[in-house]
Amino acid sequence: MSSITTPEPAGSRRRALIVFVNTALALVGGAFTALAGAFALRPPGAAAAGRWVRAGTTDDLKPDEPVARVLAVSRVDGWYRERARQTVFLVWDGEKQIRALSATCTHLGCQVQWDAKGKKFRCPCHGGVYAADGRVLEGPPPRPLDTIEARIDPADTSVLVRL
Amino acid sequence: MKQLLEWLHARTGYRDAAHVMLDEPLPPGTGWFFTLGSVLLALLSIQLLSGAFLTLYYAATPDHAYDSVRFISGFSAGRVLRGLHHYGASFIIVAMAAHMLRVIAFGSYKPPRELTWLSGLALLGLILAFSLTGYLLPWDQRAYWATVVTINISKLTPLAGEVVAAVLRGGTTIGALTLTRWYGAHVIFLPAALVLLVAGHLVLMRRQGISGPARPREGTPSPFYPTQAARDVTVVLAVLIALTVFAWHGAPGLEGPADPTDASYIPRPEWYFLGLFQLLKYFPGKWEVVGAMGIPGVAAAFLALLPWIDRVPDRRPQYRRLVLTAVLVGFAGVVTLTTLGWRDRPASAASRDGWSLREIGGRTFAQKHRCARCHSDTGIADPLEGLPSTHGPEWIAGHIADPDMIAPGLREAPTIVHEREAAAIVAYARRAARQPYPGYPAPVEAAAAIFARHCIGCHKIEGDGGTDGPDLTHAGKKHDAAALRKWIYDPEEVKPDTDMPSFGDRLTSEQLDTISAYLAGRK
Repeated sequence: MSSITTPEPAGSRRRALIVFVNTALALVGGAFTALAGAFALRPPGAAAAGRWVRAGTTDDLKPDEPVARVLAVSRVDGWYRERARQTVFLVWDGEKQIRALSATCTHLGCQVQWDAKGKKFRCPCHGGVYAADGRVLEGPPPRPLDTIEARIDPADTSVLVRL
Repeated sequence: MKQLLEWLHARTGYRDAAHVMLDEPLPPGTGWFFTLGSVLLALLSIQLLSGAFLTLYYAATPDHAYDSVRFISGFSAGRVLRGLHHYGASFIIVAMAAHMLRVIAFGSYKPPRELTWLSGLALLGLILAFSLTGYLLPWDQRAYWATVVTINISKLTPLAGEVVAAVLRGGTTIGALTLTRWYGAHVIFLPAALVLLVAGHLVLMRRQGISGPARPREGTPSPFYPTQAARDVTVVLAVLIALTVFAWHGAPGLEGPADPTDASYIPRPEWYFLGLFQLLKYFPGKWEVVGAMGIPGVAAAFLALLPWIDRVPDRRPQYRRLVLTAVLVGFAGVVTLTTLGWRDRPASAASRDGWSLREIGGRTFAQKHRCARCHSDTGIADPLEGLPSTHGPEWIAGHIADPDMIAPGLREAPTIVHEREAAAIVAYARRAARQPYPGYPAPVEAAAAIFARHCIGCHKIEGDGGTDGPDLTHAGKKHDAAALRKWIYDPEEVKPDTDMPSFGDRLTSEQLDTISAYLAGRK
């Protein structure tokens, strides 16, 4: 038995085979690229819902005097869970209202400190100054200190901050 | 466009390269049987690429490996990519067996292709090493225990057993050093060796030309592209579609995180090692080395020497009956052993739906020691139930005992926790992470707390507890509540020579009632 193989398939058959091979390779490559792209650009997970964190009771606070509290928040970074510390200032009106201000300067992210004598927040980095309610008084900060949701639990006067 | 390609060709000569790659002359009659090498090449490329992408999220440390793999499995592209990598390994084993059987059937290893054959065998070994090292990386129970078995088998190596095991292990135990070592091997050393060996295999293949049909046919050689390329692509496409279906539908499993203290876990290897696993069962004691190294070693040597054993120049099967029979018998043996290994799965410890007394008791202790002050919706830590904890029992025990371990200054020291209570809290935390508390009647909860604190050191219920005293799983069959209460209150009064201490002064009257009623109810 001698089968004769044509050295190269002729005209249209050859073209069809070339189209098939190249299309198939392009499809496989494209599909994998799409998958790898979706993998690499994983959509960020939904931000963890804020959690009410206890931050002492109003017994520890003085009316209208910001008090710094270091709170631990648990953060999830992909597969990594960490417990980070965050400083917030609690400002109590002496009755039922409480405000919580972020200690992060809105200019470039330094941590502001409370100047008890001058009754002002001062940023150590570029001279930003804020009033006790967070308004910008001086310097480069573009906006007031961020406020954080806070409430007083009427049951035991403990302060809850949503982080 | 045409001008641009001209320009490119003038500088790179890419058309010559394409000519070399694609216009390989193939002997007449080369057909579908000769597509398996391309299938392997495609599958290996998928492994290389998917593996490279998996490293974007994987972390090779015992603390984080499991979490990072779970994270990858937590979104659809990650699940599919991990699926491709996971099932791709199995596909490669199957394709490799098919490729090898084709080469043997066609006698393609005969001169002048002996080195091509040997490089192929080396690739087989390399791929098994990939499987072995990759298996550990998820750091789940299966990964950990399969590696324990692997390393223990390596100790059987004659003369150098301990050295081989130490090299594989990295450290004194299977742990962080083993993981980074196997990870390094899996993603750097083995791929580098693989790329070199595959390149060598292909260069040899091109240099000798492919063997073609067992009985050479007349006619002129035809180029690889596009006719044979179309065959290759057809088979590759079919295989890749099958692989995608697997990856899409059957997300590779991830068991609980590796727990070296879990004595109840029954390790099983991946399916392509089941044959070897089964073989070991027939060689107990000092003969084990025969099954672990002797028989596989003889098989490997036989394969390596095939070109010199099978010396008939004619490649047609009818002239090589003895060799082909030997190979078929060996292959049938591997298939049989794998099937037996597959079937011979020990009844694994039935997954308990109900919680053990220790776990239920642990919940009570967790409340008593006010774990919930921090572990709550308003606390600084996540609530215990549903908290995905990948920490080992030692870590949790340390966390319970040492107030400063997690968050210095952020919590007050708990009252000193009795070691059995701590053990129960650990059991509870691990269980609660997997399954919400199903709820038990108050008397059971109360009895569980007593049992987990006072009785569990010596007595077992449903498989959990000490063995100094009798198993109390069915305590109610023999005794009623009153007899049990009397016994627990003062055993020596009932039986003067008993070893059991008296609990009359350690348990309140109410606790005595609770535990004896509970035990009496266990028929």
